[in-house]
Amino acid sequence: MGILDGIGQGFAVALDPINLLYVFLGVLIGTVIGVLPGLGPTATIALLLPLTYEVEPVTAVILLAGIYYGSMYGGTITSVLLQLPGEAASVVTTFDGYQMAKQGRAGPALGIAAVGSFIGGTVAVIGLTLLAPPLADLAVEFGSQEYVALTALGILLVTYLGTRHPVKSLCMAALGLLLATIGQDDITGTTRFTFGQIALFDGFDFVAVAMGLFGVGEILYNVEKTEKAQAIKTKLKNVWPSRKDFRDSSGAIARGSVMGFFIGVLPGGGGVISSLASYATEKRRAKDPSRFGKGAIEGVAGPETANNASSTSAFIPLLTLGIPANVVLALIFGALLVQGITPGPQLISQEPEIFWGVIASMYIGNLMLLALNIPLVGVFVQLLRVRSGILAAFALLVTMAGVFSVNNDSFDMWVVLLFGLVGWLMKKTGFEPGPLVLAFVLGSILETNFRRSMLLSGGEFSTFITRPMSGTIFALMALVIIISVISGIRKRRRRSRPATPGEEDLAATGTTAEPEGTPGNETTDEQAPPAESGVPRDRS
Amino acid sequence: MRIHSALGGLVLLGLVAACGENAEEAAPAGEAAASYPTESIRMLVPYGAGGPTDLTTRTVGACLEEELGQTVVVENMEGGSGALAMTELAGAEPDGYTLSLVTAGTTVLTPLANDLDYTKDDFTPIGVMSEVPSVVAVGENSRFASAEDFFAAAEAEPGTVTVGVPGASTPQAIELQRLADEHDVQVTAVPFNGNAEMTTALLGGNVDAVLINASSDVVENIEAGAFQPLVASSEERLSWLPDTPTFTELGYEGLTLSGSTFGLAGPAGLPDDVVTTLEDTLQTCLDSDEVRQTIGEQYVPEEFAGAEELGSILDETQQAYEPILG
Repeated sequence: MGILDGIGQGFAVALDPINLLYVFLGVLIGTVIGVLPGLGPTATIALLLPLTYEVEPVTAVILLAGIYYGSMYGGTITSVLLQLPGEAASVVTTFDGYQMAKQGRAGPALGIAAVGSFIGGTVAVIGLTLLAPPLADLAVEFGSQEYVALTALGILLVTYLGTRHPVKSLCMAALGLLLATIGQDDITGTTRFTFGQIALFDGFDFVAVAMGLFGVGEILYNVEKTEKAQAIKTKLKNVWPSRKDFRDSSGAIARGSVMGFFIGVLPGGGGVISSLASYATEKRRAKDPSRFGKGAIEGVAGPETANNASSTSAFIPLLTLGIPANVVLALIFGALLVQGITPGPQLISQEPEIFWGVIASMYIGNLMLLALNIPLVGVFVQLLRVRSGILAAFALLVTMAGVFSVNNDSFDMWVVLLFGLVGWLMKKTGFEPGPLVLAFVLGSILETNFRRSMLLSGGEFSTFITRPMSGTIFALMALVIIISVISGIRKRRRRSRPATPGEEDLAATGTTAEPEGTPGNETTDEQAPPAESGVPRDRS
Repeated sequence: MRIHSALGGLVLLGLVAACGENAEEAAPAGEAAASYPTESIRMLVPYGAGGPTDLTTRTVGACLEEELGQTVVVENMEGGSGALAMTELAGAEPDGYTLSLVTAGTTVLTPLANDLDYTKDDFTPIGVMSEVPSVVAVGENSRFASAEDFFAAAEAEPGTVTVGVPGASTPQAIELQRLADEHDVQVTAVPFNGNAEMTTALLGGNVDAVLINASSDVVENIEAGAFQPLVASSEERLSWLPDTPTFTELGYEGLTLSGSTFGLAGPAGLPDDVVTTLEDTLQTCLDSDEVRQTIGEQYVPEEFAGAEELGSILDETQQAYEPILG
């Protein structure tokens, strides 16, 4: 069957009134749960899974897919307004989005994210339509060695992204890697650091750790800082991004769409890595990288576009190979299995109405999301008017309920509180939770795949370099490290003794792309925010 | 949605509290067993929603509900390689209102490998719900055309043939260990997380072979020609893979434990009449065409295996695994 026939049949399925209703329900639920910290797409889909057994398979997947990409839109909102990532893929959005909100530009930040998400989502659906079969062939070539390369690159980027203090970032990444070793060893099956607690067998739950560090830590920090009620007067003008905003972010959106699409196809790729990669790229490309972390609109537009594109293209390995690329797709995989359908190489030919129906529903769903989000941005900006004390208590309640709902395990609630305390202390001492959480996620993937590579190669380290794909990625990493070390040395030399004019020129052209430790960065630390105005935690 | 989730949490807490109370009330009332069941039954799944264990439990659960006239609540309790659910089951009142799906993995392997507080003797077996065999499979263009090729290569150069298994503490991993210990054939076992990861690794040519649960996704790949099955783990050839020899046929006797048996069990000390009621009802359910088709015709044992058979499967596994893990 040709693509045109297929997509025609798909729209016939997707435009069925019942399916239209479920697309709408899916994207609406997705947006709402994306807004709520702690209740991400994983938890929601897990909760709704039993309900989908009652409907047609294609309708079930349409609903669950809608929740997933809808949550990518919604996750932005709290990242921007409260520095609480609604789900993991929105972590990087907090870097610049929250700064924009502090500058009174919450509207444009949310507006550009919605527009970027729409473009990224749509580009990815078109890509999914055209490229699904050939791309799946490439993705399957990825072995353990490539995963090692990819996750090592991810961790390198994480520490590289720490806009404040690279040494502190490194410490946090190391702590994250250590935390990732708790629980059952994937290769030998023995338990590590569990102290006989069954609850620790599977390690700390990622959601609980992230919500504790980001959510509860931030809530505690805010509560401590603000005793007085603050009626925030954020003007609702400028909700729609300006012409300049569009011009500034058009490149980021275009690159984010393409990058997100390709990263999403990789098994295990998913939202977090794509948004990180996009952020790193935008920061590198920028003429003035020091703007990043201080409210650069590209830093919101790029990652938000990329995570939406990747959440759509992540369906490619599932629908063509039966390989779920991440936890959410694993749940959707499960929903299909329960319906008696095994996603796999034969899905396109045996169940074309599912394959094409779901794809067609994504076109419709993305349109609905754009229509929902543009007017709703105004509604969500109203959240800034709520007293932070009330919001904090409410957010804590929702976080705890959300975390409990993931595994129905009260242990996770203690983990949230513990990490909340840690997160609060980290914030007070100027450590960033981002590198810790991302290293925690990537750490177990890195370790397992490293040891798997060692098993496969018989202990030969050269396996990482001789394989073309992992070799390329490692070469790239070496280049990044060399460049940043050299420029770091230059900078130090420049500081320690008066530089010759020639050297200064070199430094100006060669090292402006180097974000870490730029002089003056220290002043943007915690001490700075109270000086800025129009902020939720304004003390005045 | 906020309100819903908060309410949901409260309702859940309420339910948990209610269950606790009920269990305490029911405890001294042994005589209530005569009219079993008089209240709703809780069925645990030691794994997450969506997998074959979930499908089997939900299908059997729905049938039990119909046959027994009481609500059956299926609850996924994943974690700790099944230890969470098994601890919950072992600690439940033996009144027939808390049951669980059990496997040799959750009841024998997990406690042996991790020094846990329970053993297989903390459970009362009821019957076998389904059996999923394992197969050694290679990719389409593999250098091994047959089981003989595979074993010849493994014997010629010990440790060079890589075989994916679904996890470190899985029956498949132990089986490769036994292949080395008892038959002196050394392959390198490479643990993955479940079938999906192993499938990618095999299709991508990153492992030489896999020892994999032949669940429906694998069957589909075999039918599509992407997987070539070399050896089956069952005692006799599988009816749907008539050309694939078993380990036993190839001279590797005793290697019949890598398949998964999904059994139904309660806590130790379940009254005999409750076991009989459940055993009979399970047999009725597994005779129904609807149940057989939902679980997968090839996975439901042709002859019903009840409490005794399930018990002996677990005993046999315990005996085989203790020298390796104990």
